[in-house]
Amino acid sequence: MSSDDTPEKSGKPEPIEEPEQQRAPEGPSGQADKGDEAEKAPQPDEAAASEKPDKPDEVSRPERPEQPDRSEQPEQPERPEPAPPEDDTPEPVTSAEEPAGAGPLTGRQRLAKGLWPPRLTRAQLIVALLLCVLGLGLAIQVRSTNDSSALRGARQEDLVRILDELDNRTKRLEDEKRRLENQQSELESSSNQAAEARKQTEQKEGQLGVLAGTVAARGPGIQLTVSDTKGKVEADMLLDAIQELRAAGAEAIQINNVRVVADTYFSGAAGRVEIDGKKVSQPYRFKVIGKPQDLEPALNIPGGVVQTLEKEQAGVAVARSEKIIVDALRPAKRPDYARSSSQ
Amino acid sequence: MIAVLGLIVGVVVGLFVRPVVPTVVEPYLPIAVVAALDAVFGGLRAMLDGIFDDKVFVVSFLSNVVVAALIVFLGDKLGVGAQLSTGVVVVLGIRIFSNAAAIRRHVFRA
Repeated sequence: MSSDDTPEKSGKPEPIEEPEQQRAPEGPSGQADKGDEAEKAPQPDEAAASEKPDKPDEVSRPERPEQPDRSEQPEQPERPEPAPPEDDTPEPVTSAEEPAGAGPLTGRQRLAKGLWPPRLTRAQLIVALLLCVLGLGLAIQVRSTNDSSALRGARQEDLVRILDELDNRTKRLEDEKRRLENQQSELESSSNQAAEARKQTEQKEGQLGVLAGTVAARGPGIQLTVSDTKGKVEADMLLDAIQELRAAGAEAIQINNVRVVADTYFSGAAGRVEIDGKKVSQPYRFKVIGKPQDLEPALNIPGGVVQTLEKEQAGVAVARSEKIIVDALRPAKRPDYARSSSQ
Repeated sequence: MIAVLGLIVGVVVGLFVRPVVPTVVEPYLPIAVVAALDAVFGGLRAMLDGIFDDKVFVVSFLSNVVVAALIVFLGDKLGVGAQLSTGVVVVLGIRIFSNAAAIRRHVFRA
Protein backbone atom coordinates (compact mmCIF):
# COMPACT_ATOMS: atom_id res chain seq x y z
CA MET A 1 0.00 0.00 0.00
CA SER A 2 2.44 2.56 1.12
CA SER A 3 4.76 1.56 -1.63
CA ASP A 4 1.94 2.32 -4.03
CA ASP A 5 1.15 5.52 -2.31
CA THR A 6 4.54 6.87 -3.04
CA PRO A 7 4.18 6.63 -6.79
CA GLU A 8 0.79 8.22 -6.40
CA LYS A 9 2.23 11.13 -4.51
CA SER A 10 5.51 11.13 -6.30
CA GLY A 11 3.45 11.19 -9.45
CA LYS A 12 2.03 14.49 -8.45
CA PRO A 13 5.15 16.35 -9.28
CA GLU A 14 4.79 14.82 -12.73
CA PRO A 15 3.62 18.06 -14.30
CA ILE A 16 6.52 19.48 -12.48
CA GLU A 17 7.12 22.29 -14.94
CA GLU A 18 4.00 24.12 -13.85
CA PRO A 19 3.62 22.93 -10.30
CA GLU A 20 6.84 24.74 -9.54
CA GLN A 21 4.74 27.82 -9.45
CA GLN A 22 1.67 26.03 -8.23
CA ARG A 23 3.42 24.76 -5.21
CA ALA A 24 4.29 28.26 -4.20
CA PRO A 25 0.80 29.32 -3.24
CA GLU A 26 0.42 26.04 -1.53
CA GLY A 27 1.93 27.30 1.62
CA PRO A 28 -0.44 30.19 2.05
CA SER A 29 -3.52 28.39 0.84
CA GLY A 30 -2.64 25.24 2.62
CA GLN A 31 -6.25 24.78 3.47
CA ALA A 32 -7.09 24.65 -0.20
CA ASP A 33 -4.72 21.78 -0.59
CA LYS A 34 -6.36 20.28 2.41
CA GLY A 35 -9.63 20.30 0.54
CA ASP A 36 -8.03 18.35 -2.23
CA GLU A 37 -6.37 16.12 0.22
CA ALA A 38 -9.58 15.37 2.04
CA GLU A 39 -11.15 14.31 -1.18
CA LYS A 40 -8.26 12.32 -2.35
CA ALA A 41 -7.77 10.68 0.96
CA PRO A 42 -9.85 7.62 0.12
CA GLN A 43 -8.28 7.33 -3.26
CA PRO A 44 -4.83 6.03 -2.60
CA ASP A 45 -6.36 2.76 -1.47
CA GLU A 46 -8.06 2.34 -4.76
CA ALA A 47 -5.07 3.65 -6.51
CA ALA A 48 -3.08 0.92 -4.92
CA ALA A 49 -5.50 -1.61 -6.31
CA SER A 50 -6.24 -0.06 -9.61
CA GLU A 51 -3.06 1.67 -10.61
CA LYS A 52 -1.02 -1.46 -10.95
CA PRO A 53 -0.49 -0.98 -14.65
CA ASP A 54 1.04 2.29 -13.61
CA LYS A 55 3.50 0.61 -11.39
CA PRO A 56 6.18 1.26 -13.93
CA ASP A 57 5.77 4.71 -12.52
CA GLU A 58 8.03 3.65 -9.76
CA VAL A 59 10.68 2.84 -12.27
CA SER A 60 10.22 5.63 -14.69
CA ARG A 61 9.32 8.43 -12.37
CA PRO A 62 12.13 8.51 -9.91
CA GLU A 63 14.61 8.80 -12.76
CA ARG A 64 13.29 12.09 -13.91
CA PRO A 65 12.04 14.12 -11.03
CA GLU A 66 14.30 12.79 -8.39
CA GLN A 67 14.83 16.13 -6.90
CA PRO A 68 11.25 17.20 -6.50
CA ASP A 69 10.51 13.75 -5.27
CA ARG A 70 12.61 14.24 -2.29
CA SER A 71 11.49 17.77 -1.81
CA GLU A 72 7.91 16.61 -2.09
CA GLN A 73 8.03 13.78 0.32
CA PRO A 74 9.10 15.86 3.23
CA GLU A 75 6.28 18.16 2.27
CA GLN A 76 3.66 15.55 2.70
CA PRO A 77 4.04 15.00 6.37
CA GLU A 78 3.95 18.72 6.70
CA ARG A 79 0.65 19.12 5.03
CA PRO A 80 -1.47 17.18 7.45
CA GLU A 81 0.04 19.16 10.28
CA PRO A 82 -1.16 22.54 9.23
CA ALA A 83 -4.38 20.99 8.18
CA PRO A 84 -5.87 19.93 11.50
CA PRO A 85 -6.06 23.42 12.94
CA GLU A 86 -7.75 24.59 9.76
CA ASP A 87 -10.12 21.69 9.81
CA ASP A 88 -12.74 23.79 11.56
CA THR A 89 -13.08 26.01 8.52
CA PRO A 90 -16.03 24.40 6.81
CA GLU A 91 -15.22 25.62 3.35
CA PRO A 92 -12.77 23.26 1.85
CA VAL A 93 -14.77 22.73 -1.28
CA THR A 94 -15.27 26.34 -2.21
CA SER A 95 -11.76 27.18 -1.35
CA ALA A 96 -10.59 24.31 -3.47
CA GLU A 97 -12.07 25.96 -6.49
CA GLU A 98 -10.67 29.35 -5.85
CA PRO A 99 -7.05 28.49 -6.21
CA ALA A 100 -7.83 26.43 -9.27
CA GLY A 101 -6.28 28.98 -11.50
CA ALA A 102 -3.10 29.10 -9.58
CA GLY A 103 -3.12 26.03 -7.36
CA PRO A 104 -3.05 22.37 -8.43
CA LEU A 105 -5.69 21.66 -11.00
CA THR A 106 -8.66 19.60 -10.00
CA GLY A 107 -9.45 16.47 -11.96
CA ARG A 108 -12.30 18.18 -13.64
CA GLN A 109 -10.19 21.02 -14.80
CA ARG A 110 -7.55 18.70 -16.07
CA LEU A 111 -10.19 16.84 -18.03
CA ALA A 112 -11.56 20.01 -19.51
CA LYS A 113 -8.10 21.20 -20.30
CA GLY A 114 -7.20 17.96 -21.97
CA LEU A 115 -10.42 17.92 -23.92
CA TRP A 116 -10.91 21.30 -25.28
CA PRO A 117 -7.96 22.96 -26.86
CA PRO A 118 -7.06 20.00 -29.03
CA ARG A 119 -3.31 19.92 -28.90
CA LEU A 120 -1.36 17.78 -31.28
CA THR A 121 1.15 16.38 -28.87
CA ARG A 122 2.97 13.11 -29.04
CA ALA A 123 1.07 11.80 -26.04
CA GLN A 124 -2.27 12.66 -27.56
CA LEU A 125 -1.35 11.00 -30.83
CA ILE A 126 -0.15 7.83 -29.18
CA VAL A 127 -3.18 7.61 -26.96
CA ALA A 128 -5.38 8.28 -29.96
CA LEU A 129 -3.69 5.45 -31.82
CA LEU A 130 -4.16 3.03 -28.96
CA LEU A 131 -7.74 4.09 -28.43
CA CYS A 132 -8.32 3.65 -32.12
CA VAL A 133 -7.05 0.10 -31.82
CA LEU A 134 -9.28 -0.42 -28.81
CA GLY A 135 -12.31 0.95 -30.63
CA LEU A 136 -11.55 -1.27 -33.57
CA GLY A 137 -11.33 -4.34 -31.37
CA LEU A 138 -14.46 -3.34 -29.53
CA ALA A 139 -16.42 -2.83 -32.72
CA ILE A 140 -15.18 -6.06 -34.25
CA GLN A 141 -16.04 -7.99 -31.14
CA VAL A 142 -19.47 -6.44 -30.77
CA ARG A 143 -20.12 -7.05 -34.43
CA SER A 144 -19.00 -10.65 -34.40
CA THR A 145 -20.99 -11.32 -31.26
CA ASN A 146 -24.06 -9.71 -32.73
CA ASP A 147 -24.22 -10.71 -36.31
CA SER A 148 -23.91 -14.42 -36.15
CA SER A 149 -24.87 -17.37 -34.07
CA ALA A 150 -23.49 -18.16 -30.67
CA LEU A 151 -21.04 -20.51 -32.32
CA ARG A 152 -18.90 -17.70 -33.60
CA GLY A 153 -17.58 -16.64 -30.25
CA ALA A 154 -17.33 -20.18 -28.97
CA ARG A 155 -14.01 -21.63 -27.99
CA GLN A 156 -12.42 -24.46 -29.84
CA GLU A 157 -13.10 -27.06 -27.19
CA ASP A 158 -16.71 -25.98 -26.92
CA LEU A 159 -17.06 -26.25 -30.67
CA VAL A 160 -15.54 -29.71 -30.61
CA ARG A 161 -17.93 -30.70 -27.85
CA ILE A 162 -20.90 -29.31 -29.73
CA LEU A 163 -19.79 -31.09 -32.86
CA ASP A 164 -19.46 -34.34 -30.95
CA GLU A 165 -22.89 -33.94 -29.50
CA LEU A 166 -24.34 -33.26 -32.91
CA ASP A 167 -22.58 -36.30 -34.33
CA ASN A 168 -23.91 -38.48 -31.56
CA ARG A 169 -27.35 -37.10 -32.04
CA THR A 170 -27.20 -37.70 -35.76
CA LYS A 171 -26.08 -41.26 -35.18
CA ARG A 172 -28.82 -41.87 -32.67
CA LEU A 173 -31.43 -40.44 -34.98
CA GLU A 174 -30.15 -42.48 -37.91
CA ASP A 175 -30.27 -45.62 -35.81
CA GLU A 176 -33.79 -44.84 -34.85
CA LYS A 177 -34.70 -44.15 -38.45
CA ARG A 178 -33.26 -47.47 -39.56
CA ARG A 179 -35.10 -49.26 -36.79
CA LEU A 180 -38.36 -47.62 -37.74
CA GLU A 181 -37.85 -48.40 -41.40
CA ASN A 182 -37.24 -52.03 -40.57
CA GLN A 183 -40.36 -52.04 -38.49
CA GLN A 184 -42.31 -50.45 -41.31
CA SER A 185 -41.17 -52.99 -43.88
CA GLU A 186 -41.89 -55.78 -41.43
CA LEU A 187 -45.36 -54.49 -40.84
CA GLU A 188 -45.93 -54.04 -44.55
CA SER A 189 -44.82 -57.54 -45.35
CA SER A 190 -46.81 -58.96 -42.49
CA SER A 191 -49.88 -57.07 -43.58
CA ASN A 192 -49.27 -58.37 -47.10
CA GLN A 193 -49.02 -61.83 -45.68
CA ALA A 194 -52.12 -61.28 -43.68
CA ALA A 195 -54.01 -60.09 -46.75
CA GLU A 196 -52.74 -63.11 -48.71
CA ALA A 197 -53.74 -65.42 -45.91
CA ARG A 198 -57.13 -63.85 -45.72
CA LYS A 199 -57.61 -64.23 -49.45
CA GLN A 200 -56.67 -67.89 -49.26
CA THR A 201 -58.90 -68.35 -46.27
CA GLU A 202 -61.81 -66.78 -48.09
CA GLN A 203 -61.22 -69.03 -51.08
CA LYS A 204 -61.07 -72.04 -48.86
CA GLU A 205 -64.15 -70.91 -47.01
CA GLY A 206 -65.99 -70.74 -50.32
CA GLN A 207 -64.87 -74.21 -51.32
CA LEU A 208 -65.70 -75.68 -47.96
CA GLY A 209 -68.97 -73.81 -47.92
CA VAL A 210 -69.95 -75.41 -51.21
CA LEU A 211 -69.05 -78.82 -49.83
CA ALA A 212 -70.82 -78.24 -46.54
CA GLY A 213 -73.81 -76.68 -48.18
CA THR A 214 -73.62 -73.41 -46.32
CA VAL A 215 -73.29 -71.30 -49.47
CA ALA A 216 -75.14 -71.32 -52.73
CA ALA A 217 -73.30 -72.68 -55.76
CA ARG A 218 -73.76 -72.35 -59.47
CA GLY A 219 -72.15 -73.68 -62.53
CA PRO A 220 -72.71 -76.11 -65.41
CA GLY A 221 -74.46 -79.34 -64.65
CA ILE A 222 -77.63 -81.30 -65.24
CA GLN A 223 -81.16 -81.34 -64.01
CA LEU A 224 -82.68 -84.74 -63.31
CA THR A 225 -86.40 -84.91 -62.78
CA VAL A 226 -87.96 -88.09 -61.42
CA SER A 227 -91.73 -88.05 -61.45
CA ASP A 228 -93.21 -90.80 -59.34
CA THR A 229 -96.91 -90.61 -59.77
CA LYS A 230 -97.43 -94.16 -58.54
CA GLY A 231 -95.39 -93.82 -55.41
CA LYS A 232 -93.00 -96.56 -56.17
CA VAL A 233 -89.68 -94.78 -55.87
CA GLU A 234 -87.97 -95.67 -52.67
CA ALA A 235 -85.35 -93.90 -50.72
CA ASP A 236 -82.57 -96.25 -51.73
CA MET A 237 -83.25 -95.53 -55.38
CA LEU A 238 -82.72 -91.86 -54.76
CA LEU A 239 -79.62 -92.76 -52.82
CA ASP A 240 -78.37 -94.81 -55.72
CA ALA A 241 -78.91 -91.85 -57.99
CA ILE A 242 -76.94 -89.66 -55.61
CA GLN A 243 -74.11 -92.21 -55.43
CA GLU A 244 -73.98 -92.46 -59.17
CA LEU A 245 -73.85 -88.72 -59.54
CA ARG A 246 -71.11 -88.42 -56.94
CA ALA A 247 -69.13 -91.12 -58.64
CA ALA A 248 -69.43 -89.12 -61.84
CA GLY A 249 -67.99 -86.07 -60.18
CA ALA A 250 -70.98 -84.09 -58.96
CA GLU A 251 -69.89 -81.23 -56.75
CA ALA A 252 -73.14 -79.81 -55.42
CA ILE A 253 -76.50 -81.51 -55.38
CA GLN A 254 -79.89 -80.46 -54.23
CA ILE A 255 -83.14 -82.41 -54.33
CA ASN A 256 -86.18 -80.16 -54.39
CA ASN A 257 -85.32 -77.84 -51.52
CA VAL A 258 -82.88 -79.99 -49.65
CA ARG A 259 -79.15 -79.67 -50.09
CA VAL A 260 -77.39 -82.97 -50.28
CA VAL A 261 -74.16 -83.01 -48.31
CA ALA A 262 -71.88 -85.48 -46.59
CA ASP A 263 -74.23 -86.32 -43.72
CA THR A 264 -77.42 -86.36 -45.73
CA TYR A 265 -79.52 -89.39 -45.06
CA PHE A 266 -82.58 -90.88 -46.76
CA SER A 267 -85.41 -92.46 -44.88
CA GLY A 268 -89.07 -93.30 -45.28
CA ALA A 269 -91.00 -95.74 -47.41
CA ALA A 270 -91.78 -95.46 -51.06
CA GLY A 271 -93.86 -92.42 -51.86
CA ARG A 272 -93.06 -90.81 -48.50
CA VAL A 273 -89.38 -90.32 -48.79
CA GLU A 274 -87.68 -88.08 -46.28
CA ILE A 275 -84.28 -86.52 -46.80
CA ASP A 276 -82.55 -85.32 -43.65
CA GLY A 277 -85.84 -85.71 -41.87
CA LYS A 278 -87.67 -83.43 -44.31
CA LYS A 279 -90.46 -84.84 -46.32
CA VAL A 280 -89.84 -84.61 -50.03
CA SER A 281 -92.70 -85.07 -52.44
CA GLN A 282 -92.54 -86.09 -56.07
CA PRO A 283 -91.49 -85.04 -58.62
CA TYR A 284 -87.98 -85.18 -57.33
CA ARG A 285 -85.92 -82.53 -59.02
CA PHE A 286 -82.18 -83.05 -58.79
CA LYS A 287 -80.05 -80.03 -59.49
CA VAL A 288 -76.49 -81.23 -59.91
CA ILE A 289 -73.39 -79.19 -60.62
CA GLY A 290 -70.58 -81.03 -62.31
CA LYS A 291 -69.35 -81.87 -65.74
CA PRO A 292 -72.53 -82.48 -67.77
CA GLN A 293 -70.72 -84.74 -70.24
CA ASP A 294 -69.78 -87.05 -67.39
CA LEU A 295 -72.97 -86.84 -65.39
CA GLU A 296 -75.48 -87.58 -68.08
CA PRO A 297 -73.84 -90.80 -69.36
CA ALA A 298 -73.32 -91.90 -65.78
CA LEU A 299 -77.11 -91.83 -65.30
CA ASN A 300 -77.91 -93.35 -68.63
CA ILE A 301 -75.60 -96.36 -68.59
CA PRO A 302 -77.42 -99.66 -69.19
CA GLY A 303 -78.70 -101.05 -65.93
CA GLY A 304 -78.02 -97.70 -64.36
CA VAL A 305 -80.13 -95.26 -62.46
CA VAL A 306 -82.41 -94.21 -65.27
CA GLN A 307 -83.20 -97.71 -66.34
CA THR A 308 -83.80 -98.86 -62.79
CA LEU A 309 -86.19 -96.01 -62.17
CA GLU A 310 -88.02 -96.53 -65.43
CA LYS A 311 -88.46 -100.13 -64.44
CA GLU A 312 -90.39 -98.87 -61.47
CA GLN A 313 -92.55 -96.87 -63.85
CA ALA A 314 -91.24 -93.57 -62.83
CA GLY A 315 -90.77 -90.80 -65.34
CA VAL A 316 -87.17 -89.73 -65.68
CA ALA A 317 -85.91 -86.70 -67.55
CA VAL A 318 -82.31 -85.58 -67.75
CA ALA A 319 -81.45 -82.14 -69.09
CA ARG A 320 -78.02 -80.63 -69.46
CA SER A 321 -77.64 -77.01 -68.53
CA GLU A 322 -74.78 -74.57 -68.55
CA LYS A 323 -76.22 -72.71 -65.64
CA ILE A 324 -77.45 -74.67 -62.70
CA ILE A 325 -78.03 -72.84 -59.45
CA VAL A 326 -77.92 -74.79 -56.24
CA ASP A 327 -79.37 -72.41 -53.70
CA ALA A 328 -80.74 -74.63 -50.98
CA LEU A 329 -78.65 -74.07 -47.86
CA ARG A 330 -77.88 -75.92 -44.70
CA PRO A 331 -76.93 -74.28 -41.50
CA ALA A 332 -73.31 -74.66 -40.56
CA LYS A 333 -73.12 -77.14 -37.77
CA ARG A 334 -70.36 -77.24 -35.26
CA PRO A 335 -69.35 -80.78 -34.49
CA ASP A 336 -69.77 -81.68 -30.85
CA TYR A 337 -67.12 -84.36 -30.63
CA ALA A 338 -64.98 -84.39 -33.69
CA ARG A 339 -62.01 -82.06 -33.52
CA SER A 340 -59.43 -81.36 -36.12
CA SER A 341 -56.38 -83.40 -35.29
CA SER A 342 -54.07 -80.99 -37.02
CA GLN A 343 -54.45 -78.37 -34.32
CA MET B 1 -9.63 15.44 -27.65
CA ILE B 2 -7.60 13.76 -30.29
CA ALA B 3 -7.66 10.61 -28.17
CA VAL B 4 -11.44 10.66 -28.11
CA LEU B 5 -11.45 11.21 -31.85
CA GLY B 6 -9.17 8.21 -32.20
CA LEU B 7 -11.61 6.06 -30.26
CA ILE B 8 -14.51 7.20 -32.39
CA VAL B 9 -12.57 6.63 -35.59
CA GLY B 10 -11.68 3.13 -34.43
CA VAL B 11 -15.27 2.23 -33.64
CA VAL B 12 -16.53 3.63 -36.91
CA VAL B 13 -13.87 1.84 -38.91
CA GLY B 14 -14.58 -1.39 -37.09
CA LEU B 15 -18.30 -1.10 -37.71
CA PHE B 16 -18.18 -0.20 -41.35
CA VAL B 17 -15.11 -1.88 -42.76
CA ARG B 18 -15.83 -5.25 -41.16
CA PRO B 19 -12.23 -6.33 -40.95
CA VAL B 20 -11.66 -10.06 -40.90
CA VAL B 21 -10.02 -11.22 -37.71
CA PRO B 22 -7.65 -14.15 -38.08
CA THR B 23 -9.14 -17.16 -36.37
CA VAL B 24 -6.03 -17.63 -34.28
CA VAL B 25 -6.57 -14.27 -32.61
CA GLU B 26 -10.34 -14.50 -32.41
CA PRO B 27 -10.72 -16.19 -29.00
CA TYR B 28 -8.40 -13.65 -27.37
CA LEU B 29 -10.02 -10.55 -28.80
CA PRO B 30 -12.73 -10.11 -26.16
CA ILE B 31 -10.30 -10.53 -23.28
CA ALA B 32 -7.84 -8.20 -24.95
CA VAL B 33 -10.56 -5.61 -25.40
CA VAL B 34 -11.51 -5.82 -21.75
CA ALA B 35 -7.85 -5.52 -20.71
CA ALA B 36 -7.43 -2.50 -22.97
CA LEU B 37 -10.54 -0.95 -21.46
CA ASP B 38 -8.98 -1.41 -18.06
CA ALA B 39 -5.83 0.32 -19.23
CA VAL B 40 -7.86 3.16 -20.71
CA PHE B 41 -9.76 3.69 -17.51
CA GLY B 42 -6.53 3.60 -15.56
CA GLY B 43 -5.08 6.16 -17.93
CA LEU B 44 -8.11 8.40 -17.66
CA ARG B 45 -7.88 8.26 -13.92
CA ALA B 46 -4.20 9.02 -14.02
CA MET B 47 -4.91 11.98 -16.21
CA LEU B 48 -7.47 13.26 -13.74
CA ASP B 49 -4.96 12.69 -10.99
CA GLY B 50 -2.47 14.65 -13.02
CA ILE B 51 0.02 11.84 -13.18
CA PHE B 52 -0.65 10.76 -16.70
CA ASP B 53 2.36 9.67 -18.66
CA ASP B 54 2.01 8.53 -22.24
CA LYS B 55 4.87 6.09 -21.97
CA VAL B 56 3.31 4.42 -18.96
CA PHE B 57 -0.01 4.36 -20.71
CA VAL B 58 1.38 2.71 -23.82
CA VAL B 59 3.29 0.15 -21.79
CA SER B 60 0.36 -0.62 -19.53
CA PHE B 61 -2.04 -0.83 -22.45
CA LEU B 62 0.12 -3.23 -24.41
CA SER B 63 1.17 -5.28 -21.42
CA ASN B 64 -2.42 -5.55 -20.23
CA VAL B 65 -3.54 -6.82 -23.60
CA VAL B 66 -0.62 -9.19 -23.98
CA VAL B 67 -0.85 -10.56 -20.46
CA ALA B 68 -4.60 -11.07 -20.68
CA ALA B 69 -4.31 -12.86 -23.99
CA LEU B 70 -1.42 -14.88 -22.63
CA ILE B 71 -3.40 -15.98 -19.60
CA VAL B 72 -6.28 -17.08 -21.77
CA PHE B 73 -3.93 -18.82 -24.16
CA LEU B 74 -2.29 -20.61 -21.27
CA GLY B 75 -5.69 -21.52 -19.89
CA ASP B 76 -6.68 -22.94 -23.25
CA LYS B 77 -3.54 -25.04 -23.29
CA LEU B 78 -4.18 -26.22 -19.74
CA GLY B 79 -7.82 -26.96 -20.45
CA VAL B 80 -9.18 -24.33 -18.07
CA GLY B 81 -9.54 -21.59 -20.66
CA ALA B 82 -13.15 -20.79 -19.87
CA GLN B 83 -12.55 -20.54 -16.13
CA LEU B 84 -9.37 -18.52 -16.53
CA SER B 85 -10.94 -16.07 -18.92
CA THR B 86 -13.82 -15.66 -16.49
CA GLY B 87 -11.30 -14.93 -13.76
CA VAL B 88 -9.47 -12.42 -15.91
CA VAL B 89 -12.71 -10.67 -16.78
CA VAL B 90 -13.69 -10.55 -13.12
CA VAL B 91 -10.37 -9.06 -12.05
CA LEU B 92 -10.37 -6.53 -14.86
CA GLY B 93 -13.97 -5.68 -14.10
CA ILE B 94 -13.15 -4.97 -10.48
CA ARG B 95 -10.30 -2.71 -11.55
CA ILE B 96 -12.45 -0.93 -14.07
CA PHE B 97 -15.03 -0.32 -11.41
CA SER B 98 -12.58 1.08 -8.90
CA ASN B 99 -11.02 3.28 -11.56
CA ALA B 100 -14.45 4.42 -12.59
CA ALA B 101 -15.17 5.27 -8.96
CA ALA B 102 -12.05 7.43 -8.78
CA ILE B 103 -12.92 9.13 -12.05
CA ARG B 104 -16.41 9.77 -10.83
CA ARG B 105 -15.05 11.32 -7.68
CA HIS B 106 -12.94 13.65 -9.79
CA VAL B 107 -15.58 14.58 -12.25
CA PHE B 108 -18.65 14.83 -10.06
CA ARG B 109 -16.93 15.37 -6.75
CA ALA B 110 -19.10 12.69 -5.27
